Amino acid sequence: MLNYIIRRLLFLPIVLLAVTFCIFLTTAFLSPYQMLSAYVDSPDELRRYRGNLDVLVEKYGLDEPFHVRYWSWLKKVVRGDLGYSESANMLVAEALSKRLPGTLELALFAVIPVVVGGVLLGQISAMHHNKPVDHGVRIFAIVGWSLPDFVFGLIFLMYFYGVLRWFPPGRLSVWADQIVFSSSFVRYTGLNTIDAILNGEWAVLWDALRHMVGPVITLAYLWWAFILRITRSSMLDVLNKDYVRTARAKGLPEGKVISRHVTRNAMIPVATVAGMMVIGLLGGVVIVETVFDFKGIGLLMAQGAQQLDYTLVLGTTLFFGMLLVVGNLVVDVLYAVIDPRVRLE
Amino acid sequence: MKPRLIAVIAIIAVLAAGSAYAASTDPNTFVFVTFGEVDSLDPAYCYDTASGEIIHQLYDNLIAYKGSSLDELIPMLATEVPSVENGLASADGTVFRFPIRKGVKFHSGHVLTPEDVEYSFERAMLVDPDGGPVWMFFEPLLGVFSLRDVVEMAGGDPNFEDASALSPEVVQKVYDLVDATVEVEGDSVVFKLANPYPPFLQILAKGGSWSSIVSKEWMTANGDWDGQPTSWPKWHNPAKEDMTLYSKANGTGPFKLNVWDTATGQVIFDRFDDYWQGAAKLERVVVKYVDEPSTRLLMIKTGDADAALIQAMYLDQVRGVEGIVVEERLPVIANTALIFNYSIPIEGNEDIVGSGQLDGKGIPSDFFNDLHVRRAFCMAFDYDTYINEVALGAGSKPVGPAPSSLPYVDATKPWYDFDLKAAAEEFKQAFDGELWEKGFQLTLLYNTGNDARKTAAEILEFGIEQINPKFKVDVRGMEWATYLDRLRSSALPVFFLGWHMDFPDVHNFYMPYLHSTGDFSGYCGDNMVAMAEQYFDDLIEAGIKTTDPEERAVIYSLLQKRAKDLAASMYYIDSQDQRVYRDWVKGFFYNPAYSANYDFYSVWKEVK
Repeated sequence: MLNYIIRRLLFLPIVLLAVTFCIFLTTAFLSPYQMLSAYVDSPDELRRYRGNLDVLVEKYGLDEPFHVRYWSWLKKVVRGDLGYSESANMLVAEALSKRLPGTLELALFAVIPVVVGGVLLGQISAMHHNKPVDHGVRIFAIVGWSLPDFVFGLIFLMYFYGVLRWFPPGRLSVWADQIVFSSSFVRYTGLNTIDAILNGEWAVLWDALRHMVGPVITLAYLWWAFILRITRSSMLDVLNKDYVRTARAKGLPEGKVISRHVTRNAMIPVATVAGMMVIGLLGGVVIVETVFDFKGIGLLMAQGAQQLDYTLVLGTTLFFGMLLVVGNLVVDVLYAVIDPRVRLE
Repeated sequence: MKPRLIAVIAIIAVLAAGSAYAASTDPNTFVFVTFGEVDSLDPAYCYDTASGEIIHQLYDNLIAYKGSSLDELIPMLATEVPSVENGLASADGTVFRFPIRKGVKFHSGHVLTPEDVEYSFERAMLVDPDGGPVWMFFEPLLGVFSLRDVVEMAGGDPNFEDASALSPEVVQKVYDLVDATVEVEGDSVVFKLANPYPPFLQILAKGGSWSSIVSKEWMTANGDWDGQPTSWPKWHNPAKEDMTLYSKANGTGPFKLNVWDTATGQVIFDRFDDYWQGAAKLERVVVKYVDEPSTRLLMIKTGDADAALIQAMYLDQVRGVEGIVVEERLPVIANTALIFNYSIPIEGNEDIVGSGQLDGKGIPSDFFNDLHVRRAFCMAFDYDTYINEVALGAGSKPVGPAPSSLPYVDATKPWYDFDLKAAAEEFKQAFDGELWEKGFQLTLLYNTGNDARKTAAEILEFGIEQINPKFKVDVRGMEWATYLDRLRSSALPVFFLGWHMDFPDVHNFYMPYLHSTGDFSGYCGDNMVAMAEQYFDDLIEAGIKTTDPEERAVIYSLLQKRAKDLAASMYYIDSQDQRVYRDWVKGFFYNPAYSANYDFYSVWKEVK
């Protein structure tokens, strides 16, 4: 097991380097002027030389061959300098650090209802294979999968906020913001829920949770069909295994057969998919963040893309790429923990 | 299953119960939702309405408009409004004396002095950021338009790159020239004008963020210009983020800045208890930036926002809603235009101008320098559809660069009409017929969140693309602060922008739109500057120098005709304004001179 992890860790820098190269390759077709904001030391340089950008192109070597530009960019990236985002009006690294807590919090709170709900629906579906319940659950989930997220999000917002006033948009209410911005409130993580607990501000905690209900339910409904499908097919596969038949033949109650012998074994592919889904959530969920005014990385990236802010798109893609590589490693290690066959291989 | 279901319902019920904390029930906190974030909080830099909205609440000026009036001025940090009658203004209109109020405190605790007033204006002139509002001081006080002109007056090179490289003699002379315009005399501050300038007092009035008074001692302690004659070059035209007041504030206004948080997109300011006119009724104001219009609508409908910026096209969704007050058709002296850059920098703008060539895949740098192209654009826009369907009648078709409600604007002389055939004829003549043969491709820019401008861009796109299948137009949004940065560096190829009056005079429209040093024309490339110098500058300068109404009428009539003949920009609506707020909001008054939507000092809430 340890050897497996060490092997993967040793391989990590090479993968990361390859990721940076692939991402940088996408900028090969851009003009040097469009890439300037990724290189400049200060955003003011861009403003001052806007009418004479050749000065900056020469200064930062953007007229040099591809490998020279890549090396120069990579050195900045290693120092944590991802350039300046004109659409966010701040450094890309700063924009990412400001938006990450929102996205991280949403991902953390979305993963449990998404996975538990999806698995539960998958179980029900598999256990009632080809019966009306199975069809009903699948139709319910497929409707969610088919429904555009902004439609579901807006309907949710209009009813549960516009009519019932239960679950408002944004990350915190105004009164809660006032507590969070006060000098007595210490920002430990940037995650409102965690910081509220650490500061003992229970009202802020409830408010933060209340603001997450809308985005989480929207995300959950959209993703349930995906998890359901994997759980259902995996369970149907396991239900036909010899050891399940043996368990039933031994006279074990059906509930125990399902929970101990079927669900546990059917969870292996689900764990992999769920792990990748969490990483996907960390990369930001554009539409949900937009509709619910939940200022996270997804919204940031969408704004950057809409405004052709190449430096921001490059920076966020790099961030997401890194996250994917590291997250993939974690999922693989967890997979090895769950399934001993992986370790043997 | 049942226990699980009950648990889920219980959690939702508990979370929903938290709605009892809704902000709207708090009578002391005001929430205003809008779009377009602050660019800078420095009064010497800020020249946009989003930033002006905040500065208005934090600072005071020497004088102010009385309520909704544009004609009547009242004292503020000065104890009297200068006039010939009270002996504080000279008969020739070139000297104005302001006795300064005593005992006024800044948020920092410093006490206001006449030296603070002198410092505020001199600092603004010496800082003079590119594209900023300080031309309004230079023109009346020194008869020029920027510090570069003053450097030239002092015998230096006006095209200097770094003010620190100017010779010590020039530096001293520049300071002396600026210093002589605003002087402390006893407990008063005296402004000495180069020429009579009718709207000078309006330039100083509340509503003009540029005339905000700052504390010399606090500014110096925070690393800004120390007031010394030879040290100013270090602070001239700095990067906006490097300016002391970029994200900090210390005024004498009724509110003090609590936080400007870009992560959550909001500005919060708190009541200043030592305010010289008495503390505001509201304890706290929150200005939240929400780009999504449907979210802003929901926030005002639910009462989570006390006021919301709702554009005319969405007013149907709030009219008649119980508990919401909609004030419509408010008279505003403002207009909106599509502004052309006559010498587009291609480098860095490839995503907007494509190839940068006249090859059907982009536009060349001098695309808008062709008169036929500009005229064709003006004829390809469906003004009536925009005004009736998008602005829902809240505005009128313009007659030129200045709104028709202003004196000296001839409302009988029409602007271009929507006429695709005539537009096609103009396009056929552009670039000697080459444009018609090859076509073009470009992107129209608007500031993100402004759906009215987005729709205007789409209407123009529809019109142009109907004329010739080889004409391709895209529409793209850009963040407000980025938009302004690019404008200030002359890098926007073609863009939508509005102009809200700084002071109620026709000069305040011709100057920014058409003078070679104006805030729009000056940033539309060398070709536009050359055209402005040839056709507009002399007339615009003559228009403000004379106080003879007949002479002014002749001058502005000629300017209006030339602006149309040359299709300088595509002016497409003389705007009207609207406010949407909850019925518990009291004390609101409207003054067209304010760039701020609300003067929060006058506002309070009566929540039942």
